Amino acid sequence: MNILEISEVTKNFGGLTALNDVDMHIAKGEILALIGPNGAGKSTMFDCVAGVYPPSSGTIRFKGKSIAGLKPWDLCRLGLARTFQIVKPFAARTVLYNVMVGAFLRTSSTDKARDKALSVLETLRLDHRKDMLAGTLTIADRKRLEIAKALATEPELLLLDEVMAGLRPTEMDDMIAIIRQLRGNGITVFIIEHIMRAVMALSDRVVVIHFGEKIAEGAPEDVTRDENVIKAYLGSDYATS
Amino acid sequence: MSRKQLDMTLLALAGLISFGLPLLIESPTYLQILILLFFYAYLTTSWNLVGGFAGVLPLGHAVFVGIGAYTSTILALQFNLSPWFGMLVGGMVAALVGVAIGKPTFRMRGAYFALCTIAFSEGVRVMIENIDSLGPIKFNGPRGLLIPLKGESFWNYQFMHKEPYYYIILTMLVLVLALTWFISRSKMGYYLAAGGDEPDAAQALGVDVAKYKLIALGLSSFLTALAGTFYAQLMLYFYPKGILGLDLSFEIAFIALIGGRGMIAGPLIGALVLRPLNEFTRIYLSNQLPGLHLVIFGLILILVMLFQPKGLTLPLTRLYDRLASKITTTGA
Ligand SMILES: Nc1ncnc2c1ncn2[C@@H]1O[C@H](COP(=O)(O)OP(=O)(O)OP(=O)(O)O)[C@@H](O)[C@H]1O
Ligand SMILES: [Mg+2]
Repeated sequence: MNILEISEVTKNFGGLTALNDVDMHIAKGEILALIGPNGAGKSTMFDCVAGVYPPSSGTIRFKGKSIAGLKPWDLCRLGLARTFQIVKPFAARTVLYNVMVGAFLRTSSTDKARDKALSVLETLRLDHRKDMLAGTLTIADRKRLEIAKALATEPELLLLDEVMAGLRPTEMDDMIAIIRQLRGNGITVFIIEHIMRAVMALSDRVVVIHFGEKIAEGAPEDVTRDENVIKAYLGSDYATS
Repeated sequence: MSRKQLDMTLLALAGLISFGLPLLIESPTYLQILILLFFYAYLTTSWNLVGGFAGVLPLGHAVFVGIGAYTSTILALQFNLSPWFGMLVGGMVAALVGVAIGKPTFRMRGAYFALCTIAFSEGVRVMIENIDSLGPIKFNGPRGLLIPLKGESFWNYQFMHKEPYYYIILTMLVLVLALTWFISRSKMGYYLAAGGDEPDAAQALGVDVAKYKLIALGLSSFLTALAGTFYAQLMLYFYPKGILGLDLSFEIAFIALIGGRGMIAGPLIGALVLRPLNEFTRIYLSNQLPGLHLVIFGLILILVMLFQPKGLTLPLTRLYDRLASKITTTGA
């Protein structure tokens, strides 16, 4: 069963076509990576899927139902959570406070929200930072916090926008392990990623977009050998390395 | 002594002192100053629900004070209903008006929202100033409304001495502070703060930011209007420029900013600083230069914003933390 179905989605910003007639889907339990050069329209796709703005045309179905007219908070309640490419912590509040905001979606009890937030922080190995102000965290911890907040809403589908960017190699390995663990817990993961090592390590399937159009789709090994993809995105260096 | 015991002892002491003050203070003038101090602390605490926790800057809260005062007074004078009942009606009218203004304006960011609230409350003031009567209801235009003295009566919300007013506003203040404390620790408090800090992030976490802001504004307007009735009954006279004017709206915001927006104790601390100053300048300086007190407020605000941009509550809390840790460690 497909948890997300995107059909013929086009998004225009004034005269600029950020997405052009894109079809894609994600099966339940899958890790799908969306890759493509800067400005290809990847984050725009997340914004459409998460209800930030409606696509100019086309339909998006989450768990079989069209999301037309639904707002970000409606979709989050239905089980769709996302992180932002430019992380948006509640900077003046503690890490625990940040995650509790997410946890309150499924409970009105402050005690339960705190317990939930603490257990999510443990999953992300961020519990030792719980009393720090979110604005004082390192990049790596900020990215984890971004995931922790989303995770606290108990999503079925998690959209991760470039969570590896700015991480050191060991931090990236931790992050890869964390995302695998999430999938192990039954969460479907839709990632946007530039770092091919992470894409190769994580994804079951890859979709490549370029100037708003889908140019390739398939298993990671196949996609990275695709000539169009190499020309448009990976560069010939990648093919030979 | 543990920290918690210290906190509780001091809180009990503060409670005892505020409860006992009328027994010590004989002069009605001084008692009136205290009553107004609590009145402003109450107003600002109500304002803080939306202006502090929800991170927007309403600058027209006088309109809700006015709605409270006019509603209960008109119901009492012309329909013979108890001001206590009118107070609740006024609160509900204010909540409806608050939600009605909030709905279209909360989508605006920053200064635009503030300007809209000013425009709305000024609009209402000018309207009331130009209405002598509306059907059977007398507004009396710019002259305002006078509540005839009926003698000591709880039903009529009239007391011959200041003490009952003191205890009424003290009770209101304690309740509204407790409510704010409770909200700040509840889902609503987290949602308001998140929506105020980073609306996009909050929405992505399932927070209907606009809805929570509306609830906060509705509640804040309701509570603010209750104080309007209190003021009317305390003074037995009010007029549009005083009770619906920008001076009142701005003073509330001044107190909040100086005390600390979004902090529970902020309004109380702000009122403790600004109210005595206001009374002092009014008594000693206003003959020489009317409006001087606002200039002084402005200067203080600039100084506080420069050196303590989050208001005075934060440094005071830190100071208290340091003193408390000394007492609790040396005492143990
Ligand atoms: N709100 C907006 N208004 C106008 N143009 C926009 C808006 N959002 C994105 N764009 C434009 O749409 C195009 C796609 O942007 P998008 O952010 O989706 O790219 P991306 O694939 O995520 O790139 P990157 O890898 O740099 O994050 C870009 O040309 C961008 O400038
Ligand atoms: Mg992007």
